[in-house]
Amino acid sequence: MECKTKGSSVTSFQGRGNSVEKATVVVIGGGATGVGILRDLAMRGVDVLLLEQRDLVYGSSSRYHGLLHSGGRYAVKDAAAGKECIEENTILRKIGKHCVEATEGFFIRLPEDDKAFEEKWVEGCRKVGIPAIPISPEEAWRLEPNLTRRIQSVYRVPDAAIDGFRMAWQNVASARRYGGRVRTYTEVIGIEQSNNQVVGVTVRNFFTGEVEKIACDFVVSAAGSWAGEIAGLAGIKVHVQPDRGTLLAFNHRLSSRIINRLRPASDGDIFVPHGSITILGTTSSPAESPEDNLPSTQEVLAMMKIGEATFENLGQYRLLRAFTGTRPLYSADPSAKGRGASRNFVILDHEKDNVKGFASIVGGKFTTYRLMAEKMSDLVCRQLKVTAPCRTAEEPLVEDPSPGLLEKARHYFPAYGTELAASRLGAERLEKVVQSMEQDPEKRQLVCECENITLAEVEAAAQDSTSHCLSDVRRKTRLGMGTCQGAFCTFRSVGVADSQNLTWGQDTNKLLQEFLQGRWNGIRPILWGNTLREAELTRGIYAGMLNINGVIDNEGK
Amino acid sequence: MKMYQHNPDNCTACTACVSQCPVTAVTRKFRGPKMVGPALERLRLSQEDAEPSLEYCSNCKNCDMACPSGVPISTLNMLARAKSFKNRKHSLGEELLAHGEKMAKLAVNLPGGAFFANMGMHIGSGLGLMRMVGITGQRSLPAYAAESFLSQFKKLRQQIFPDKVVFYPGCFINYNDPQVGMDFVAVMQANRYEVIVEEEFVCCGSPMVVTGYLAEAEQHAEKNSELIKKWREKSVPVITCCTSCGLMLKQEYQELYDIEGLAENAKNLYDACEFLLLLADKGKLNTQFAALEEKVIYHAPCHLRAQGFGLPALDLLEFIPGLTVENADAGCCGLSGNYGFKADKYDISMDIGERLFARIKGSGTATAVSDCGTCRLQIAHGAGVAAVHPVTLLRQAYQR
Amino acid sequence: MRESDVIVIGSGFAGLIAAAAADKRGKKVTVLSKGVGTLTIGGGTIDLLGYGNDGRPLANPAAGLAAIEPAHPYKKIGSPAIYAAIKFFLAICESAGYPYLGRLEEMKWIPTAAGTLKPTCLVPKTMDTTCLKSAHTVYAAGFQGLKDYYPHLVAKNLSKLPGYDKNYEIVMVNPHFTDGRDVSALDVARWLDTGTGRKECIRQLVKKVKAGAVILMPPVLGTSPDYQVLEEMETALDCRLVETVAIPPSVTGFRLRSMMLNYLKTAGVRIIEQVSVARAIMEKGKCLGVVTQNIDRERTYYAKNFILANGGFYGGGLRAEPGQAIEPIFNLPVEAPAKQEEWGNRQLFSPEKQSFAKIGITVDNKMRPLAPNGSIAIENIFIAGRNLRGYDFCFEKSGNGVALASGYQAAMSV
Repeated sequence: MECKTKGSSVTSFQGRGNSVEKATVVVIGGGATGVGILRDLAMRGVDVLLLEQRDLVYGSSSRYHGLLHSGGRYAVKDAAAGKECIEENTILRKIGKHCVEATEGFFIRLPEDDKAFEEKWVEGCRKVGIPAIPISPEEAWRLEPNLTRRIQSVYRVPDAAIDGFRMAWQNVASARRYGGRVRTYTEVIGIEQSNNQVVGVTVRNFFTGEVEKIACDFVVSAAGSWAGEIAGLAGIKVHVQPDRGTLLAFNHRLSSRIINRLRPASDGDIFVPHGSITILGTTSSPAESPEDNLPSTQEVLAMMKIGEATFENLGQYRLLRAFTGTRPLYSADPSAKGRGASRNFVILDHEKDNVKGFASIVGGKFTTYRLMAEKMSDLVCRQLKVTAPCRTAEEPLVEDPSPGLLEKARHYFPAYGTELAASRLGAERLEKVVQSMEQDPEKRQLVCECENITLAEVEAAAQDSTSHCLSDVRRKTRLGMGTCQGAFCTFRSVGVADSQNLTWGQDTNKLLQEFLQGRWNGIRPILWGNTLREAELTRGIYAGMLNINGVIDNEGK
Repeated sequence: MKMYQHNPDNCTACTACVSQCPVTAVTRKFRGPKMVGPALERLRLSQEDAEPSLEYCSNCKNCDMACPSGVPISTLNMLARAKSFKNRKHSLGEELLAHGEKMAKLAVNLPGGAFFANMGMHIGSGLGLMRMVGITGQRSLPAYAAESFLSQFKKLRQQIFPDKVVFYPGCFINYNDPQVGMDFVAVMQANRYEVIVEEEFVCCGSPMVVTGYLAEAEQHAEKNSELIKKWREKSVPVITCCTSCGLMLKQEYQELYDIEGLAENAKNLYDACEFLLLLADKGKLNTQFAALEEKVIYHAPCHLRAQGFGLPALDLLEFIPGLTVENADAGCCGLSGNYGFKADKYDISMDIGERLFARIKGSGTATAVSDCGTCRLQIAHGAGVAAVHPVTLLRQAYQR
Repeated sequence: MRESDVIVIGSGFAGLIAAAAADKRGKKVTVLSKGVGTLTIGGGTIDLLGYGNDGRPLANPAAGLAAIEPAHPYKKIGSPAIYAAIKFFLAICESAGYPYLGRLEEMKWIPTAAGTLKPTCLVPKTMDTTCLKSAHTVYAAGFQGLKDYYPHLVAKNLSKLPGYDKNYEIVMVNPHFTDGRDVSALDVARWLDTGTGRKECIRQLVKKVKAGAVILMPPVLGTSPDYQVLEEMETALDCRLVETVAIPPSVTGFRLRSMMLNYLKTAGVRIIEQVSVARAIMEKGKCLGVVTQNIDRERTYYAKNFILANGGFYGGGLRAEPGQAIEPIFNLPVEAPAKQEEWGNRQLFSPEKQSFAKIGITVDNKMRPLAPNGSIAIENIFIAGRNLRGYDFCFEKSGNGVALASGYQAAMSV
């Protein structure tokens, strides 16, 4: 429920004044695959524009557990997927140092898990080339003291955590350097053809409802769970079955490593430490639509129960929120469902469906987004007769901040703030933020005290052209994503937005309500324990004290 | 459910602790209990760094008392402080302040040691030597008594009674303020108890913990716990007259260390005034007090309030005829163990204590009463009024 | 065995009022306290009743009380006791030199830091908005570095409200907080506690404001429960100052709590801090004593009567587990929706009351807890504050109001 101010009046079909925006390639969808394609094509010199209906990673790419697979999870069932994972894992660690946290992972087998599977798994890893190093349970407990004492065997694998928000943001930053463009809150409502050749798209501004045309030679649909709907705009059937996956975020790091259960892939058995929090995922059930993303209490309780096998004290840890995403499962065979469906990706060149200049990429998983983008970009380039090779596997997404800059940053950022801010911002933006803090000490204040987000960073994120509401700022900064879930920083960031004279920062009560409602969606299904206590505090501040929603009448008289 | 957990999850970021933190009230150098405690704890679990303002926490425990969610904020701070010393060295001043017991032993074991040590400290502060190592020259370090409590006690001939208690004197009473210990023994004798002093007891470790010597303090915890266990098994209560020692032995050991039997030991540990008040509840307190026609002002130490049994001294002193006791109720004295002895914390310590000093000075009383040795030092220093332990008044009233 | 007449469990506003009222009746009172309650979070206003069930503002709290539904604690307490509670509270404030303003027949709409107005009933003099009505120029004052308060936001939003279209000017005061941690309202208030701070603040403001104007302030006018800062600044500036309601830490709440504690301690009420009450000792349907469980050992406190004022879910008086709510000390019956999904509405700022907010203990008109069959569950236990069932203080704006009335009524019933 973010930025919910959908424009209602559709004005007449028109361009912006006389000049219609043009791009050689339009990419639809600002998820992992879309931003990957944007970057890839831009680096090959293609004039590319990405259109996203809401904010970047609004769909599934931010609603998953943020695991950069070692491939271990697929080693038995799908060796090819496992191999892709370990290869991409190695590449992303190299190019994405600032969005990948190389935590490593454990696969642990508990007494109730099949011993025979362990043997198959070890063999699978060996075949695929995934280094799986056995260690003793005692060693595992030394490294991860909160783990259950019921462990039978443990293997170390090169799993890593990857931040979906940051990854997208950094792909865009990289693409922009090569001329790639992004428009968020731009919904594609039509694919324009002339003689079975794509000539452009029709888009609608999410806020104003304004409709316009964008001319292009090629359209790539990387719309994930929405891919069927986009293909439908060109009269083509693509069968994507969105599959619900609910996840839980815990208030702190329960472990320093990713913890997988050593058993066939199942619900609620992966814990991923992410910065200050831990994510537990995930469930699997057919979704009614790509927007079917409100978690249910039943899903939460089921996952807690499974998770308690790994961390016995799980019930005593604080749940921050629950969230749900939809996996865009593609199948040529519509009967395959859930984890039974293939997780491999497929590129559909719609020339076969009699529409030239249109291709969809469906299925796949976050870990292989770069490879997916490469394959898709190869196809586009072949058709556009562009010969430049793919370079996304070599060039880092963002440049490392220089040691000098980091040193300077440490001077102004609070403790525990510099490294995280540097990896969120990348060198270029970090420099600007540091500059702002240097010039005005007030900018060093923390707007978000839970996640250590400074005023300077919030201002920088708010001013970016892709920000249209506080939730957009949140995804760029982690504002409001810590312990208090916005109880304090929502007010502060609204004050900041107001002072920045931003077009979207005017109706401050709406900003407050939007942001807090977004948080509430994840809190409502888990309204007990400390999560309920925090919700009472938040509501006490905004409804009880500030009365941001109450009707006011006649009082001034 | 375990009451004290080292995870920060109960914190709702509500700021109640911020409103009650005495350090935060007088200086902006400290980022405050919520930030430095639970908020940063989440980040400490995820990355390496150090929060410089952590050193400003005085471990007075007012944040813990304020918290509506039961977060052991000060303990999170002390654990983090200990961790921070993994990457840096202690200063000489910190080392001295953490090891009062060691210093005292060195001093008093020399012939005429206490005298010369006190002279030395005097000269040292005069020459600025103390300040050079980070110890303030603006107040005297507590002087060593000419004869330690242990040594005086050994010469004492007690009446033998079937009821016995073990006394844990702690460093301050043993080396600096033995009279409190002697008064305690006299009060117990008047109540038909024989006092046993376990010579093997070592410093409780509190000054070490607040200075980041967590592992060293653990050795002390092990040693003391073993002895407390011995007396627990004989059903002999162990009693302290120092509220910081008491808090450490009962509570902080359990929060910081995983030593067997701590929870059971804690059940057998008593604060002197609480113990005497329990006697009164059972009708066993000797109430043959002579009148003390005097007005005194009572200061409740933070480390007593933090123990969660109220202010037993106030109830106990009511038994003394003629004695008028006013409760200062003016918050933390500011000294907080060795905190106010640090050169860079002296002003903070005095600013915190200002409300208490003003209250005592304004009360027009010549005597202040407080259960904590360092509180008494601070009161004498800041308010210029003699400060005594409640048992001292009790003894006076028994003897008249 | 020492025995109190009354043990009050909890030292939030409900508990403090209950203790004061019981003491006033000559009872020997002991307060068992864990944490400082929510006064320093939630502000120092006594909201009595601002909105009806339909979410429409009430003409005044008394009008709302007349139509209150049977399940609401106010209905149980009854109007005479509510009037008496207010009178009792105002008398405490008066005697403490920190008088509050307001009465049941008048709705006070006070400005907030979000630039909204909030309906309330009793406020400190620092929140008297009478002067705003006739003011032409209103200065919205802010303090440099105070990240919890944005005067521009206040002025911009207020100016859109009926009766508030004034000439607003933003004035900033620089408290010269150069180093150290981020600034909170408490820091500014403590600066204004000092003579030098007040002088400097006045020096800066006097150049920027015209005499006779109104200055809207963040809630920072000193931490002591008195009006020294207000009066000194108003005299020096020849302006009227009005404090707004802002996010925690709450300076106005801090003042109110200090006032109540001073009152109780002077009266000789025993307050025992840092105790968790774990369970009760019961005999023949009566509570003889409560047992506290601290880290060292259990202790028992005996009394003739007990007032349970330890809050709701937030305060720990109620505990929420998936699909059920528990009262952990006496195991009193707590009704809660069995389906977890029904605890909260889809919208956080919903046009209806939130179920979770209304969860609590059902009582009779003496605040005694009732069993599901309507009989008295325990005869010498009395409930006060947020653990009462049937009201949503955020929705209806009755924060501190129910606490005051029920705390008073419980004390009158012991």
